[in-house]
Amino acid sequence: MTLLRSEHLCKTYPNGTQALNQINFSVEEGEFLVVIGLSGSGKSTLLRCINQLHPVSSGAIHFEQQRLDQLQGRALRQQRSRIGMIFQQFNLIPRKSVLTNVLAGALASTPIWKSLLGLYSKEQREQALAYLRIVGLEHKAYVRADNLSGGQQQRVAIARALMQNPKILLADEPVASLDPSTSHSVMKYLQKINRELGVTVICNLHFLSLVRTYASRVLALKDGKIVYQGAPEDIDEQWFTTIYGEEAVEVSIN
Amino acid sequence: MENTMITKQPLAEAMPVKRYQASIKAWCMDVLLWSYSFLVLYKLGYQSWWLDLRHVDFFWSEPLYSLLVGGLVASVLSYTKASVGKACYGLIAFDEGRSLFRTASVRLGLLFLLLTFIAGLQISQVSMREFFSDSGLAGAQRIFTALLNPNFAIFEDALFAAVETVYMAFIATALAIPVAFVLAFFAARNLMKNSALSFAIYAVLRFLMNLTRSIEPLVWAIIFSVWVGIGPFSGMLALFLHSVASLTKLYSEQIEAIQDGPVEAMTATGAHPIQVIWYGVVPQVVLPYLSYTIYRWDINVRMATVIGLVGGGGIGTMLMQYQGLARWNDVGMLVIVIAAIVWLMDYASAKIRAHLK
Repeated sequence: MTLLRSEHLCKTYPNGTQALNQINFSVEEGEFLVVIGLSGSGKSTLLRCINQLHPVSSGAIHFEQQRLDQLQGRALRQQRSRIGMIFQQFNLIPRKSVLTNVLAGALASTPIWKSLLGLYSKEQREQALAYLRIVGLEHKAYVRADNLSGGQQQRVAIARALMQNPKILLADEPVASLDPSTSHSVMKYLQKINRELGVTVICNLHFLSLVRTYASRVLALKDGKIVYQGAPEDIDEQWFTTIYGEEAVEVSIN
Repeated sequence: MENTMITKQPLAEAMPVKRYQASIKAWCMDVLLWSYSFLVLYKLGYQSWWLDLRHVDFFWSEPLYSLLVGGLVASVLSYTKASVGKACYGLIAFDEGRSLFRTASVRLGLLFLLLTFIAGLQISQVSMREFFSDSGLAGAQRIFTALLNPNFAIFEDALFAAVETVYMAFIATALAIPVAFVLAFFAARNLMKNSALSFAIYAVLRFLMNLTRSIEPLVWAIIFSVWVGIGPFSGMLALFLHSVASLTKLYSEQIEAIQDGPVEAMTATGAHPIQVIWYGVVPQVVLPYLSYTIYRWDINVRMATVIGLVGGGGIGTMLMQYQGLARWNDVGMLVIVIAAIVWLMDYASAKIRAHLK
């Protein structure tokens, strides 16, 4: 079943940069879609246009039966809460405990006054601890989030996204700030929630070796346009130079 | 994306229109500098010092004449390299190998500065003769003897007045915190730039806060002492108003300096804007807020002693009364108490702020 569809999506920033140009693709439920491309090719913009962190310039984003680009206010927040997102810089709330950070994923379903006072229900707390168990950080629940290592912080971010009970998880270069072994650990957790919890994943990545290991399908962007769509095994030498340019050399991450 | 090279071009080789504008600005600057110098030379150098006139009359024709003379000199010099304006607007290419002090425009600039310095000495009536005169030294001896022999009989009164001052400063700070906390969000550019309406609110608020801050608490105390009567309440109101303006500025600058990441992450979870601010912004600013607030209390205690001088209550009012009666032994006691409090607050606030980092 098609979960997400982008039609003629264009994005031009106020400074005149055209980041996305006529992007057409669709995502099936349960896919692990990886978006690759050089820095500045529009990967991050694409993810941010899906959940409307950046408003689109023209075109449409269909999510289930809704047109996300036409939603505003409460309706938009409701749909956003069904789309989790993790970031390259983890973006956890500093000086707050891991548990508070995970509970922040439930903000959309918590009344404002309760969330200001930190009054989460018992079920929400148990759920948060359960998601921390999934990412293997249950014992760190009461530690300050900024005291964790990079890989651990990204796992907390994953737990926070899971707290939203999302249909889709957007991952914006989730391992670009991590070392190789931690990268694999974080990618394995993403794979786990994709396979075991059935959450569809759209992930931006840099390393082709990671793409081949984890992606079920690949989308390549260049200068804001889609230049390749297909299976990860089919990216050969020729496609590689098309996507990354003549001078690129493939490096792998083990 | 197009790769454009941006190189900074010296104005000496820049476009003719830009160069034309710059030379007009440079000329205006030279005219002002020269007319100022002529006016100062004429009034202070010629009339006040050379003719030694007791009372120097002022006519509006004088600045007009200096403007004329200044304009002439500046126009003539604009064809040479001896022009401060041209140097400031980058119309003169500096010779890298030569010392700056050998350049005509720099020497000229220093000359203007020297003139201002001498004029300043003259206007401030700086006089070593007064400072070391016999009657002057005798007066100094009298007041220092009295100050160094403080009257301990009024120690209790001084202490109570000091306590009043500290409490007054505390309540002014405490009441200012919630007001500044709320206003700071509306005065933070990064939160308000998104729509025209919110940006208008931002601009108006910034303007009002700058206006409030630019009026000294001393002046506010005078205004409020007429409004609510002389006493600690008027002093408290003055400090409160000034604290709101200052804290709003400091708080909002802190908000402007936060990392966008947590804000973006909270928005992505579908949180309400209020929740985004509470979870994405507030945790990043609490500690600096606390630090600023304690520092502000410290400042308020110091200001409260001064504000008392104009009827804002506390130890300052007491100081003013004894000073009016020339009871220097009592004043000596008060000065000691004030110094002790200010030192104590300074020490405590520095300690607390060091631990907050």
